[in-house]
Amino acid sequence: MAFSIQPHGIQSMLKEGHKHLSGLDEAVLKNIDACKQLSTITRTSLGPDGMNKMVINHLDKLFVTNDAATIVNELEVQHPAAKILVLAGKAQQEEIGDGANLTISFAGELLQNAEELVRTGLHPSEIISGYTKAITKTLEILEELVEKGSETMDVRNKEQVVSRMKAAVASKQYGLEDILSSHIADACIQVCPKNPVNFDVDNVRVSKLVGGVLHNCTVIRGMALKGDAVGSIKRVEKAKVAVFATGVDSTATETKGTVLIHSAEQLENYAKTEEAKVEELIKAVADSGAKVIVSGGAVGEMALHFCDRYKLMVLKISSKFELRRFCRTTGTSALLKLSQPKPDDLGFVDSISVEEIGGSRVTVVRSEDGGNKVATVVLRGSTDSILDDLERAVDDGVNTYKAMCRDSRMVPGAAATEIELARRLKEFSFKETGLDQYAIAKFAESFELVPRTLAENAGLNPMDIISKLYEKHASGNGKVGIDLRGDDSEDGVCKDVSTVNVWDLYVTKFLALKYAAEAACTVLRVDQIIMAKPAGGPARRDQPAGMDED
Amino acid sequence: MASMLQPQIILLKEGTDTSQGKAQLVSNINACTAVADVVRTTLGPRGMDKLIHDDKGNVTISNDGATIMKLLDIVHPAAKILVDIAKSQDSEVGDGTTTVVLLAGEFLKEAKPFVEDGVHPQNLIRSYRTACNLAIVKIKELAVSIEGKSLEEKKSLLAKCAATTLSSKLIGGEKEFFASMVVDAVIAIGSEDRLNMIGIKKVPGGNMRDSFLVNGVAFKKTFSYAGFEQQPKKFTNPRILLLNIELELKSEKENAEIRLSDPSQYQSIVDAEWNIIYDKLDKCVKSGAKVVLSRLAIGDLATQYFADRDIFCAGRVAEEDLNRVAAATGGTIQTSVNNIIDEVLGTCEVFEEKQVGNERFNIFSGCPSGRTATIVLRGGADQFIEEAERSLHDAIMIVRRALKNSTVVAGGGAIDMEISRYLRQHARTIAGKSQLFINSYAKALEVIPRQLCDNAGFDATDVLNKLRHKHALPSGEGAPYGVDINTGGIADSFANFVWEPSVVKINAINAATEAACLILSVDETVKNPKSESAQGEAAASAMGGRGRGGGFPGRGRGMRRR
Repeated sequence: MAFSIQPHGIQSMLKEGHKHLSGLDEAVLKNIDACKQLSTITRTSLGPDGMNKMVINHLDKLFVTNDAATIVNELEVQHPAAKILVLAGKAQQEEIGDGANLTISFAGELLQNAEELVRTGLHPSEIISGYTKAITKTLEILEELVEKGSETMDVRNKEQVVSRMKAAVASKQYGLEDILSSHIADACIQVCPKNPVNFDVDNVRVSKLVGGVLHNCTVIRGMALKGDAVGSIKRVEKAKVAVFATGVDSTATETKGTVLIHSAEQLENYAKTEEAKVEELIKAVADSGAKVIVSGGAVGEMALHFCDRYKLMVLKISSKFELRRFCRTTGTSALLKLSQPKPDDLGFVDSISVEEIGGSRVTVVRSEDGGNKVATVVLRGSTDSILDDLERAVDDGVNTYKAMCRDSRMVPGAAATEIELARRLKEFSFKETGLDQYAIAKFAESFELVPRTLAENAGLNPMDIISKLYEKHASGNGKVGIDLRGDDSEDGVCKDVSTVNVWDLYVTKFLALKYAAEAACTVLRVDQIIMAKPAGGPARRDQPAGMDED
Repeated sequence: MASMLQPQIILLKEGTDTSQGKAQLVSNINACTAVADVVRTTLGPRGMDKLIHDDKGNVTISNDGATIMKLLDIVHPAAKILVDIAKSQDSEVGDGTTTVVLLAGEFLKEAKPFVEDGVHPQNLIRSYRTACNLAIVKIKELAVSIEGKSLEEKKSLLAKCAATTLSSKLIGGEKEFFASMVVDAVIAIGSEDRLNMIGIKKVPGGNMRDSFLVNGVAFKKTFSYAGFEQQPKKFTNPRILLLNIELELKSEKENAEIRLSDPSQYQSIVDAEWNIIYDKLDKCVKSGAKVVLSRLAIGDLATQYFADRDIFCAGRVAEEDLNRVAAATGGTIQTSVNNIIDEVLGTCEVFEEKQVGNERFNIFSGCPSGRTATIVLRGGADQFIEEAERSLHDAIMIVRRALKNSTVVAGGGAIDMEISRYLRQHARTIAGKSQLFINSYAKALEVIPRQLCDNAGFDATDVLNKLRHKHALPSGEGAPYGVDINTGGIADSFANFVWEPSVVKINAINAATEAACLILSVDETVKNPKSESAQGEAAASAMGGRGRGGGFPGRGRGMRRR
């Protein structure tokens, strides 16, 4: 389009094909608009009654989810300003693993409100300073709202864990949170190390098996490996394990070599010696007391033959990560070469057995008294998409556990905290002099997003509920939130969350709000966008072609 | 200038397709209903089959829901979910795949008017979940346990379940014949419960009735060399040696090379090669085995060598057959002929080679461990036998599940009618919107008997009303009444032995509800343009995912915790 106009000003400085946007109308408002669009996408997924999105990514994989982090990740957001929001969401996801939706939606709401202020004539910098003040105040208030007595918790007490985890899981899989969170808590507590701060989310594994229903989910102390055992022995109990990171086979040279045979005798013995060598190696392993051989690579037929002969169970784990985890579960150190393992190299398992779950073979490795090693949540569900979504819920739960291991403080959930924050912040804004107070008031208003969305997503009347909540909060009870499980009868919806036990983690809220405010300010601060011409290279096909080729 | 530069806000990548809102939901529902309509007519004993002609020119005739869904190659994202649940039902239970798709479609169809009227889908979902839980509790309540019966009694009960499944299939005409065969096969493999231990062999030609069950292993005669005719074809109590090596004159190792300086040594090398093979053969003979099977080739030299010593041999036996022989006869497969101990030899009562149709079959029967069974299927056309195999697979699965869970419910739509009645009754006690939703859930369940009637050409309304009347009887005696396919009226399904394992119904209702809820909970679809490099990959993974029960997607981990 630049062809038609003579380049002037900044145009003349830049290469052809760039994009340049500046000024309130073009940059700020456009940016806000883009962010708003993004947050409208994620917003309807907020809360337990949030709707799912069906996202088909460029690999043609179908996601059905209401996990904001997944949605924005798969959306491939292009707009630069909207990307800032996505990054804020990702930061939240990485830090806590939950609350990404709150971050994005709240930032979107902040920007939307900022737009109104901009339109009334406030300068973005005033808005930013107001927002900055507001967020500092908010975080102060938030700290005051922390539930008394929640600072200390026993991370090994299932009840306490579940009560803190439930809200996070419920927001992903509403109606199933009781079953799920108890499983997650079980798994987490099992692997929780002596110092809970060192809890590693990677130690809680998820294994998804199509078929059955959620009620068939279980937690295994140990691992569940897909696939069958290689040899004919399918079950051992109380056995020592030897792990070989490379294949279990007769050693072959890396370099291409040819064996030169000079006489008939040599020819006759060639095969025999090789056989004898493999037998010797396998026998050495068997003699060391190991009953199970785990191979990280191929298992040679000859080796397998002798393993069967010496009654060794053979497992093949080709993924390096999986192998490492297996070593951790069993306390084995992996050997690089097939040789006789030393006694301390051997690990121990309570049982390894091949089980058939829902039509697929699974090798279940159990290590009951292994202590804090690895636990696996076996998920069952009727479709892959359901399973993926369940997995994300488990993921959130596990992350919440990690967060609570570090900071166990809780705040009331179900929008109670937000309303309280909004109320107090509004009061605060009245005391402020200068133009800031408009921004602070708008910031306070933005909190209404949460109860509004919760109510909207649940099919309730949002205005009604927000006013009711304000009323209750003004009358002194700062813990009243929306009870979605209540009937639509008169007073059922607004309830003291401490009676229904809906809690959010303080850290989650803290970071989500902080990231959101920061992202919003960053977006507001931009007044010019300069986009360079995309680098050359093969042009991307415009149409999502190949849709019906598959 | 400004107006020219006023660009559209491009939030997402070019080519991205988004759709959202109520219209999106309704269109998803429509797509699912359309899919359900495809399989609808295959339900029940009078259901019709589908002929599917795929892009490779293969023709499949089937009325197995899962098979049809798989072959349909559905691309609509929402409708794909229905394919998934059909697969899941197939891997979990084995049968009821049509039912599950039909139910999910019907749940959605019932939900559609509500969605159009502006009901929030979450309200629907909540009610559907409640209804589902209620239904399952009710099924468990109504289920009849077959635990604790004697083996004979159990067998006949299991045969009833198998017959119910088979009645809806192509081989329904011979259901008693096959049902007892299936039950025998499943009982034979016992508690070991590995599906691949039941082999199904297909031999075109002959009559369905000529099919038979081998209590052991049977496989088609493998390719044989000269000398094979001289080998004895029948043994009683033979020892069986299972090998994984080539018994052929060939170079020992690819990477060996012989360099000779003296031409006179040449003969010794040739002799050595012969010696090696003779040595191997000798060891096989010495082991005392009368039957030698190998996964790899057994050459003509070996064939004749064995023939001279009255030993039967077969090379290039398919791996799964060999594994099955190993399991059945108690032998282990050897990769070396050195040091063959007695332990690794298998045995069976009778080994023989038999003519079946125009094929010859090697049959091992009376195996000691008894953990295997093979069904040899006979029938006219290829497609016919294929479909018969699928039907038997379903029946086998059903019997296994029934054996495991040992509760059965009345089929023929009886259980569906009863749950429907129960839910309607329950709905009346609820104030508020969910009364309507649970009612519609109940109505959706009636699709099973309705479809049974439709497919059989009866007046569905008439039959359904009769059923409702029976089920509404306060005494509860009408509970087991279902559609009578033979007369077009209603009959006590339980008394007529139209039985299904309760786990089939439980899983079907669960899966259908889950799928319906999932589809209802979607309010937006975003479709990213496919990246070019990914297209091949996607196609490849789609192929891989098509395998039976391949539901252990390994990709899950990678996409988390970014």
